[in-house]
Amino acid sequence: MGRGLIRRAIDWGTRKSPWIIHFNAGSCNGCDIEVVDALTPRYDLERFGMLQQGTPRHADVLVCTGAVTLQTRDRLIQIYEQMPEPRFVVAVGTCACSGGIFDGCYGVVGGIDAVIPVSAYVPGCAARPEAIIDGVVKLLTALKKQQKEGPIVVKAEGDEIVKAETLSGEVVYEKDKEEVSQ
Amino acid sequence: MDINSTLIAVFLFPGLLFLCAYATTLEFVDRHVYARLQNRQGPPWYQPIADFLKLMGKEVIIPAGADKTMYKLLPLVSFAAVATAFLCVPVFGPAVKAFNGDLIVVLYLLTIPTACFYLAGWYSTSIYATIGSVRALTQLFSYEVPLFMALLAPAMLAGSWSITEISAYYTANPLYVLFNLPALVVALLAVQGKLERVPFDLPEAETELAGGTFVEYSGRYYAMFRMTVDCELVVLSALIAAIFVPLSFDIWWMEVLCFFISTLLIVFVLTFIRATMPRVRIDQMVRFCWIYLTPLAMAQIILNLFLRGVVG
Repeated sequence: MGRGLIRRAIDWGTRKSPWIIHFNAGSCNGCDIEVVDALTPRYDLERFGMLQQGTPRHADVLVCTGAVTLQTRDRLIQIYEQMPEPRFVVAVGTCACSGGIFDGCYGVVGGIDAVIPVSAYVPGCAARPEAIIDGVVKLLTALKKQQKEGPIVVKAEGDEIVKAETLSGEVVYEKDKEEVSQ
Repeated sequence: MDINSTLIAVFLFPGLLFLCAYATTLEFVDRHVYARLQNRQGPPWYQPIADFLKLMGKEVIIPAGADKTMYKLLPLVSFAAVATAFLCVPVFGPAVKAFNGDLIVVLYLLTIPTACFYLAGWYSTSIYATIGSVRALTQLFSYEVPLFMALLAPAMLAGSWSITEISAYYTANPLYVLFNLPALVVALLAVQGKLERVPFDLPEAETELAGGTFVEYSGRYYAMFRMTVDCELVVLSALIAAIFVPLSFDIWWMEVLCFFISTLLIVFVLTFIRATMPRVRIDQMVRFCWIYLTPLAMAQIILNLFLRGVVG
């Protein structure tokens, strides 16, 4: 803890007002329709303070769909860098999470996390609007935990993660063990 | 008025602090009514405050080609102009700074934010922002004339350029307000253009222009611009309430109640227009303002001059 009142107020605001921008990195359009679906009055994302923004400068959450192709790779990085901190990325759909059935194609780089860091993954082909809302709300819940306890420190050997713990010393993940906590 | 009460009136009540608090309330009312008209739940009551706090804490990115001084100065200038205009508008009785001609001053102070929006788009050197700012200026030339004429016509009948005196005149003669109904319709439609809301939200046009004049703005400077627009809504609804709603009471709580009910009613009508109409094209907007609104306001002025001769 030990955060000042202003810091806590801004953290609260960040959790309560996630403005999103939607980017298609090479999707088949299935997930895009579901993302747009989630923005309609029927699902009412404004309950959580979410608004769709047209420009990356106003957005906090980049909602990405589809596997990253060679064509969109540079654009995706450019859009991500145009967003002001703090910023989060949500990968929507199986292709965005891992590359899906397009993984290994000659024109495909891979999932979104092959290019930019991703905060939340929403699998599904196509991901349902309920799953997208659930994913974003889970992201905000995790954000609250992180704001309170500080960032998670990850130790790795080569490509493999050995241990992950919070700044206060709580072990979140350890190799060769069951997952300690979510 | 001594220096302490002046400072309290300017910064706390009914000045800056009350203006910002009521602006966030009205933004919530606007968004909530909009949501209810779309048959959904809508944002929680603290949403505008959360948006403001979040934007205050975000990183500020100034584009490499932008003029840094102007980029930082314009949000402050536009906010200051609106906050100054609020001091001349009657809130709970007479205005803080009432003088003969304050109606004209308020109208011109309310033009400054639009000019700042134009310059903000121009100085951020983005093609989207430039298109948005040129549209903002084109729109300014369309709605400004009917808005001015619609607000000046009641003043002509009252025979005064002071908002407080106009309000007092219509309180004494409540039935004369019925003559001003065309002007009220013109004013409400022109205000939609001034606040850049549907059907006249062309400078922003979310789905076309990616955010309009504020495309390159982020962090606290964008928060300041948002607050400016919200405060403009407060000032304009209070101004319309003072001129067109002829109610004034001696008891203070009746006065307070009357202010809140009349401004909320005006905001509700504005939200209803926003929720039920599609966006028009810029040429349709200009044509509508010049072919329908301006002649209607002109007819109102002629009628009021005639009535002024009859009733003296």
